[in-house]
Amino acid sequence: MNTKPESQSLAAWVEETREGIDSGRFPVRAFNDQAVYDLEQERLFSKTWCFLAHESEIPHPGDYVTRYIGNNNLIVARDEHGEIHANLNMCRHRGNVMCKAEMGNASHFRCSYHGWTYKNSGELVGVPYMKEGYEGRLKRKDWGLVRVRVDSYEGLVFGCLDPEAPPLDEYLGGFQFYLDLYLKHGLGGVEVHGPPDHWIADTDWKICTENFAGDGYHTPVAHQWGFHLGYFPSSGSTHSQGWAVSIRGKGHGIGLGHGPNFPPFGGFPDDLVAEMKQSLSPEQVEVFSRTRTAVGSVFPNLSFLMQPFSLEPGEIGVRFVTMRLYHPVGPGRMEMYSWCLVPKNASQEYKKEAYRAYTLAFGQAGTFEQDDFENWTKVTQAAGMTMVRGVDFPYIMGMDSAPDPEFPGPGHAVVPYVNDTNFRNLWSRWADYLAGEA
Amino acid sequence: MGEQPVDRDTASAIQEFMFREALALDERRFRDWLAMLTDDIRYEAPLRVIREGLAVWDLSPTSRIFDDDRQTLEVRIQRLETDFAWAEQPPSQTRHFVTNVLADPGDNPDEYKVHSNCFIYRSRGTSPTPSLYSLSRKDVVRRTEDGWRLARRWAAFDQALINAHNLSILI
Ligand code: FES
Ligand SMILES: [Fe+2]
Repeated sequence: MNTKPESQSLAAWVEETREGIDSGRFPVRAFNDQAVYDLEQERLFSKTWCFLAHESEIPHPGDYVTRYIGNNNLIVARDEHGEIHANLNMCRHRGNVMCKAEMGNASHFRCSYHGWTYKNSGELVGVPYMKEGYEGRLKRKDWGLVRVRVDSYEGLVFGCLDPEAPPLDEYLGGFQFYLDLYLKHGLGGVEVHGPPDHWIADTDWKICTENFAGDGYHTPVAHQWGFHLGYFPSSGSTHSQGWAVSIRGKGHGIGLGHGPNFPPFGGFPDDLVAEMKQSLSPEQVEVFSRTRTAVGSVFPNLSFLMQPFSLEPGEIGVRFVTMRLYHPVGPGRMEMYSWCLVPKNASQEYKKEAYRAYTLAFGQAGTFEQDDFENWTKVTQAAGMTMVRGVDFPYIMGMDSAPDPEFPGPGHAVVPYVNDTNFRNLWSRWADYLAGEA
Repeated sequence: MGEQPVDRDTASAIQEFMFREALALDERRFRDWLAMLTDDIRYEAPLRVIREGLAVWDLSPTSRIFDDDRQTLEVRIQRLETDFAWAEQPPSQTRHFVTNVLADPGDNPDEYKVHSNCFIYRSRGTSPTPSLYSLSRKDVVRRTEDGWRLARRWAAFDQALINAHNLSILI
């Protein structure tokens, strides 16, 4: 075993990690380490576009939710004109928290310490004893809440702490093609079914991002109960079929699992399939009609999953979509947000059915979710052991796979679906940020 | 509150039923537990959300942690009976502390609304740190020819951000 000295500098470790990824190696230590976590806060979460909220969570003027980018707590609010703003959840006077609730509705935020008052857009409008105390020296326009850049795609609101970072469109870099499956499977787009499930786990956020970037490899074992009892429509022998698609140099990736006997768009009601043929492009229809499971991650910490789940063994069941955010709260520790997305125009009946399938499979008491977190928590624990400093994991599946020239979508598409190509792409992007080169 | 109180014998029979139901869960006698449910059982745990003091609701009208009926509860139990329910290997040790049981007449002659507090201690494997859950339950129990049955479980967690990596137990 090649154990590296404790004293190896972090910069050297990052460089070595970057080189290792190209040859299919990634260090265990990355998944539970204070120094790595600190570097992520400083160099990754301060520069990437991070998911904040879905527009349907704050549909009315004044609606807000509080969310995070890295360790920064933000207020994401819709102002009186319908525009969405993100501001640091900190009073500019002496730093009190402005919104202590997770969600609510307010035209103004009034600080409970000395009473400074801001519009929900973040502008400072009220200062007690303005004349007597500040004698004209305080300019309200200079002391609004600290503003964070926001941009959105198909209802997904992202924020970015770096004013120099390229726009969201460029950041997504073509991954929109795949996001559309989750966000445009219906002519009216999608909405959240309600506030997100919310729980805390001793798991590193990266394990989740990686798993959802297309880890079809774990499914037949980690979720074996579903195969075994017939509630999940694929079998161990055919499970590897499909594509793994990554956006090179951006970190995003998706696994598109096929089922050889799975009917086109199986698990969707007919009217929704008809809508998808209009809302999606012919290329998207070609790819998605064959897809049984679509599991993707937007770099760095937002993921989606669409899959069918059946309550009758052997049947196709119903499709549901979950969106999840992995908020890091410490080395090897995270807060999980999990939503169910439903097509806005779908029947109440389908929305309910899809939601019930989601809770049974992927809510916090979900039967698939339970086993994932069991594994992820153990991986995180292992990664914290001192003996694994200097130990790598193999990321060598599909090392030489060439992109499929027939594939109609953007990105680097390889077969089979069970493949490490997406993960190498993910970790090399991550390492670029940690090296200060992204 | 203004309602006709439930007679003592009935109230104590209901309380005993609640205790036996909890015991079946803690002893992992899941088939026995299923037998204590009506066929039309609704088993729900709404999601708690932290909102400001004057908010209309703090339990989500639409989001659920559990959203089960007889069929889906059977799926959960079937899963636990396979060799692949990794989240319960080793099994959680749970203790349901059921207190403050209050029974009121229900909407149907044989039904009773039962309020109880439930505190669940859950430990897993060699971990020294248990998960603790405090819940308010508003159930419906029904008197049938075969004895008491649970017709509705409605349980709200007293915490919005649940401190457990999963919920592979029943509440
Ligand atoms: S800290 Fe907010 S007004 Fe003083
Ligand atoms: Fe999984």
